Amino acid sequence: MAAPTPATSTDPRWIRVQAWLGGRWSFGNPRRAARLLYGFARTEEQSQLELRQAARACTDDRRRARYLRHALDESRHAQAFAEHAQELARTAGDLGFPRPSASSESLYERLGELRFLAFVHAGERRGRIEFETYARLLRRRGANTLASLFESLVQDERQHEAYSARLLEELAGVAGARSAVRWARRWEAWRGFRRRGRALAGALYGATMLLVYVALAPFGLSVRLLSQPTRGFSRDP
Amino acid sequence: MVAILGISGLYHDAAAALVVDGVVVAAIQEERLSRLKNDPGLPRRAVTACLRIAGLTAADLDSVVFYESPFRKLERVLHWLMRSYPRSVRHFPRALSAQLGDKLWVLDQLAELVGIPRARVRTTSHHLSHAASAFLVSPYADAAILTVDGVGEDVTTALYRGCGSQIELLSALPFPHSLGLLYAALTAYLGFEVNEGEHKVMGLSALGRPRYRELFDKLVTLHADGSFELAPRYFAYEAGGELGFSPALERLLGPRRRPGLTWALESSETDQRYADMAATLQCVTEEILLGLARRAKRETGLDALCLAGGVALNAVANRRIAREAGFSRVFVQPAAGDAGGALGAALLGAVEAGDPRPAPLRDAALGELISVDEARALATELGLHAERLSAPAERVCELLVGGGIVGLCSGRFEWGPRALGQRSLLALPAKVELRERLNRVIKQREPFRPFAPAVLAARAAEFFSDAPSDLTPFMTSVCDVRQEFQVSLAAVTHVDGTARVQTLGAGVAPLFSAVLSQLERTTGVPIALNTSLNGPGEPIVAHATDALAFLTAHAVDALLIEDYLFRRPG
Repeated sequence: MAAPTPATSTDPRWIRVQAWLGGRWSFGNPRRAARLLYGFARTEEQSQLELRQAARACTDDRRRARYLRHALDESRHAQAFAEHAQELARTAGDLGFPRPSASSESLYERLGELRFLAFVHAGERRGRIEFETYARLLRRRGANTLASLFESLVQDERQHEAYSARLLEELAGVAGARSAVRWARRWEAWRGFRRRGRALAGALYGATMLLVYVALAPFGLSVRLLSQPTRGFSRDP
Repeated sequence: MVAILGISGLYHDAAAALVVDGVVVAAIQEERLSRLKNDPGLPRRAVTACLRIAGLTAADLDSVVFYESPFRKLERVLHWLMRSYPRSVRHFPRALSAQLGDKLWVLDQLAELVGIPRARVRTTSHHLSHAASAFLVSPYADAAILTVDGVGEDVTTALYRGCGSQIELLSALPFPHSLGLLYAALTAYLGFEVNEGEHKVMGLSALGRPRYRELFDKLVTLHADGSFELAPRYFAYEAGGELGFSPALERLLGPRRRPGLTWALESSETDQRYADMAATLQCVTEEILLGLARRAKRETGLDALCLAGGVALNAVANRRIAREAGFSRVFVQPAAGDAGGALGAALLGAVEAGDPRPAPLRDAALGELISVDEARALATELGLHAERLSAPAERVCELLVGGGIVGLCSGRFEWGPRALGQRSLLALPAKVELRERLNRVIKQREPFRPFAPAVLAARAAEFFSDAPSDLTPFMTSVCDVRQEFQVSLAAVTHVDGTARVQTLGAGVAPLFSAVLSQLERTTGVPIALNTSLNGPGEPIVAHATDALAFLTAHAVDALLIEDYLFRRPG
């Protein structure tokens, strides 16, 4: 649902170019490839969480069932990505990864069903384009196992894209669905922009904190020197 | 009417508990509702669910009590960031952002989340919450209380005396000397996730020999007064109690185990070495806990002991305490970890408001009900078969006897990390191949992980020593499986001949009890293998949606929700 890489454009050609360049960089090295696949595993895990919550909150049984099936697919994808990531990490001699976990943004509650569904649709479309690109790239490189993985996922992404489009039209009509998808693409781009902004802010915060930390050196050293080691029981610790 | 809401959160295991007029009306872990394992946020959904169960609104609440003091915690974090200078450089930005950006404002956040004036939100202390969560719902009028976990505000271990509704602090052990952190550090060293993999370490320990005691003596020193000290250079305290071993630990014990690798204990010497590490850790843990419990006995002279804190979920150690510390009775509340702090905070608030002590906790079914109607409607859309049964227990028994694995959902879901018959996965206790199927195919977990038996309390003593006891209703201790039954209970007997038994008394989990009674009539043995109804890495099922998702995704034979049996087509 949430696309594997942060969106900055919704133009399919640009998505393909980005995926191609990113894929060439990542799949050229098992360590980088492992990290990329593990990132996908976490994204799929987050998607399944959001869809589970949607299935719980939605009041229409048919749509609940759709969200639940979709959630189960995402869970399967997360597992497949995690397994491949683990294998590649081992090839690279790395420690490996823990079971992928994710946090939830409670998107269904926050956005309402129509916009949530539009967001799902936009994310699936973007994911499908990216996965198609990766599959082609990997076939060309002779990495057939990974290419098959992406090809099998593309089938699922197509189905998800199609069902979410159908449900959108049912909920809001053709014009309403288009409008919701346009909104979702704008929102997705905005989220991508904000994510990059947060990353930049994080880097600035880290640098500032490093300076603060250095400035705290005398204080830190005096605490080390002056504070007595604590040991044993006390009634008033 | 006095209604007090207790809250734990912003670390791991967020939860809410509601006490109305001295009665524990609801207690819910957020993970069950958010579907995020060990949900570390604030328990938004759990708060709503607690109020819904009680039929109250936020305006009816007298107060909201947060389970610890964020201000004292901040003080400890800042102190240790400075004390670990310059090792704390990497953790400094994150710790400051977490404390100052989020945790420090938790009381304002709670006022907003619940929708009550800020003046009605207050705090208590972490270990006192733990102590109250165990003692105030225990069956004892007076008891010694021992709380042991990673770290609260600045205390890692505390000893209290409980008398009626009063709890008095006797002594406490300050950070960084923490049994919880020692266990967490070794959990990470063995390649498991901290705050999640500790029970795996406990399971693994039974397959090893404690032959690294000399090395562990360098990590931790035990004193005659029951206190202990960790050697600072092997731990990374600056990590704030989340993960914490330093490179020195690897130099001492050898390289850590990679996370996610398949365990091969029979064929890999390296894995056997890690199992021996786990066994040594378990042995040291037991000795420390025994020392603390003996001190509790000496200081209080009381006959009963209540245990709380994450370490109190160590069922193997609890058995040794019950046998060797000198107490005649021991009690552990089912959510002994940080989630339990929510219950303790609510109970402390209630007692302070003048409410009587609640009745002893007999049943952990304090969550939301499961809806059969919801399940039926969703099952139709998912293409699942649904069949209404006139005798559900008989049918489940029939499936189990035929070698099936059956999910069971009934009533309100459990409080705490154990499935106790409200959201359980059942199988016959005899067949080892069923255990293998459960471990490999359904739960996808390590092959050494044991499964637990559930037994009717009235017949427990025939099959298990030390059962029933105050510990067995909530699966917080292990018992020896009697020699003559170790073959017929092979799927639930761990390699050391023990089992983490759950006993079901009269009136508890009625549908599950009926299944056990039917098994007794059919096979002569009122015992089932009982494990949690959840997939790998997931919280235990709460609602019908989760239960049917589980059935759709996993190779179980059927799922019983109250009197409806659901199956996958074909």
